[in-house]
Amino acid sequence: MKSGLPSIRTRVTRALLGWSVLWTLSVSLAVCLAVQQEIDELLDDTLLAAAQVLDASLPTPSETSAVAGTPKETNEATTPAPSGRFTWQVVEYSPSSGARILLASPLAPTHPLRTTPSTGFADVPAWRVFGTHLAGGTHLLYVAQSQDERREAKIEVALSAALATLAIALLAHLWLRARLRQELLPLEHLAERLARHDPLILGATLGAAERAELRPVHAAIDALTDRLARRLAHERAFTAHAAHSLRTPLAGIDAQLAVALRECPAQLQPRLQRVRSAAARLQRVVTALLTLFRSGVDLRRQPLDLASLVGRLPIEGLSITVEASQTLSADGDLLAAALLNLFDNALRNGASHVIVSTPASAALRVHDDGPGVSAAQRGELQEAIAAQAYEGHTGLGLMLADLVARAHGGRLSLPEVDRGFAAELRLAQA
Amino acid sequence: MRLLLIEDDELLGEGLRDFLSGEGHRVDWCRSLHEATAYRGEPYDALLVDWQLPDGSGLAWLRARRSARDSTPALMLTARDLLSDRVQGLDSGADDYLVKPFAPEELSARLRAVCRRSAGGAASRLSFGRVEVDLTARSAWLAGQRIELTGREWSILEALVLRAGRIVPKADLERLVLGFEAELASNAIEVHVSGLRRKLGFDLVETVRGLGYRIAAQA
Repeated sequence: MKSGLPSIRTRVTRALLGWSVLWTLSVSLAVCLAVQQEIDELLDDTLLAAAQVLDASLPTPSETSAVAGTPKETNEATTPAPSGRFTWQVVEYSPSSGARILLASPLAPTHPLRTTPSTGFADVPAWRVFGTHLAGGTHLLYVAQSQDERREAKIEVALSAALATLAIALLAHLWLRARLRQELLPLEHLAERLARHDPLILGATLGAAERAELRPVHAAIDALTDRLARRLAHERAFTAHAAHSLRTPLAGIDAQLAVALRECPAQLQPRLQRVRSAAARLQRVVTALLTLFRSGVDLRRQPLDLASLVGRLPIEGLSITVEASQTLSADGDLLAAALLNLFDNALRNGASHVIVSTPASAALRVHDDGPGVSAAQRGELQEAIAAQAYEGHTGLGLMLADLVARAHGGRLSLPEVDRGFAAELRLAQA
Repeated sequence: MRLLLIEDDELLGEGLRDFLSGEGHRVDWCRSLHEATAYRGEPYDALLVDWQLPDGSGLAWLRARRSARDSTPALMLTARDLLSDRVQGLDSGADDYLVKPFAPEELSARLRAVCRRSAGGAASRLSFGRVEVDLTARSAWLAGQRIELTGREWSILEALVLRAGRIVPKADLERLVLGFEAELASNAIEVHVSGLRRKLGFDLVETVRGLGYRIAAQA
């Protein structure tokens, strides 16, 4: 649907996408913050536990002193396996020599982890250290874990959490999109039902709504349809009454005039003939007005023999040439009313000859040899027709021709011609 | 032709009656269906019926006549111009359908066309042996020579031509030609038929003894 209008599906999808990203970021951040704290505690617990294990398994302070100077060779069988990320030191502090490493894991740093005796947790460059006094001695045991190791652990956990959240968000987004499409289907069904709906049938309804939210829409459309059907029925009844009330006296006037023309003295005949011509024009106007009532309703397209149609139209004082190279498919009655009024226009505007042609398969042109209009006037008329602002701009002929063209799905245009005036009814293809 | 016109509008009814009478037809004009019952059983060449009448539907009246095997040509006169109306009108037994307002000249032409079709010929000029009859021009020729006929003679010829091949009872011919004046002149038909025979040949109008008159169908 490329109408330029906002689409519910697109707007909701965009909103869903935005919220999915926001949700992923928020959840990831929250998980990171929570997990960082927990991991810190967990790793610190690990250091504490390692310190306790080492404290129990390392030699006593006197033994430790005996092995001082060979830290990398001491008692490896009874100490925990060394690790590049995890290390430990036994440090002796004395006022004379300062801190001295008595024992250490193989990959431990060569300098004491703490220059002053310290217990508990502390962060030193590149290490997280836990210090404790060795049981019964003055030496301190330092158990340390590299900051890189701790950072890596935190990043891995945060990344896993973020990826899991993102995956869930993505799945949720896809599912919601599919669900949204599914939930919008009843709107498409409603449009299809509306396209098939005939408001001219009294009592016709759209049927049951597919969703509770669509019930008010169905009810409103049904009410509108009902009002429209009643209005149309009323207008049809009015048109039928008006037709009878107007057409019969007009036929009577013409019949009386025909008799009077036959019976009157010769000198009165021209005058009576003028009266009869005026009556004939009145008939055309009334026919046009009655046609206007039903233009757009009951359109009955059929292939038309244009020459035959034009030949049946009661118009005097105008010679008509039909150049129909195309067969038109149109409502014969409506087209006849439009043609009759265009001919009448031509006659009243001083034309004596009209060419009726079919420049395209769904177009009918009436071109007269009258004085025509200026380019500016033609432009104004064309604008009024395009905007259907007939009042004060166009006469009944052009208005009716445009309404008839619109009833066929097209419109009236006023093409530029070298001489005279031309009106072209563009009738959309059946 | 003898015509029955059922039309409630005074202006139109009177105008049509006078116009058609001026063309040589005999028109019985009724303003309602009730009034038309007085003309039941009368022979007519054509019926001109308005659809919407004050006391009923002209369409229903025509349908009833068709059900009673009355095949008199009928034209429906109506202000109803929808295609569905026209279809309904023609399906109900009308031979033609004329939407108001119409010119009486068109009604007259359609009337002639309907009657010609009813008589079995579409052409305006019909041939009966050496005699040719033009219903539109209201003229007759014998061996190519135009023959002048009186009004009554033409009316008899027209009535018989429109029923060519069928026996027209004398009483019907009297009604068709003289209308309600038939009761006043009992031997008028014989006089005019005799005149016709003198002018167009004795073999044109056949007397079917005890039944009526007949013109043989076109060759």
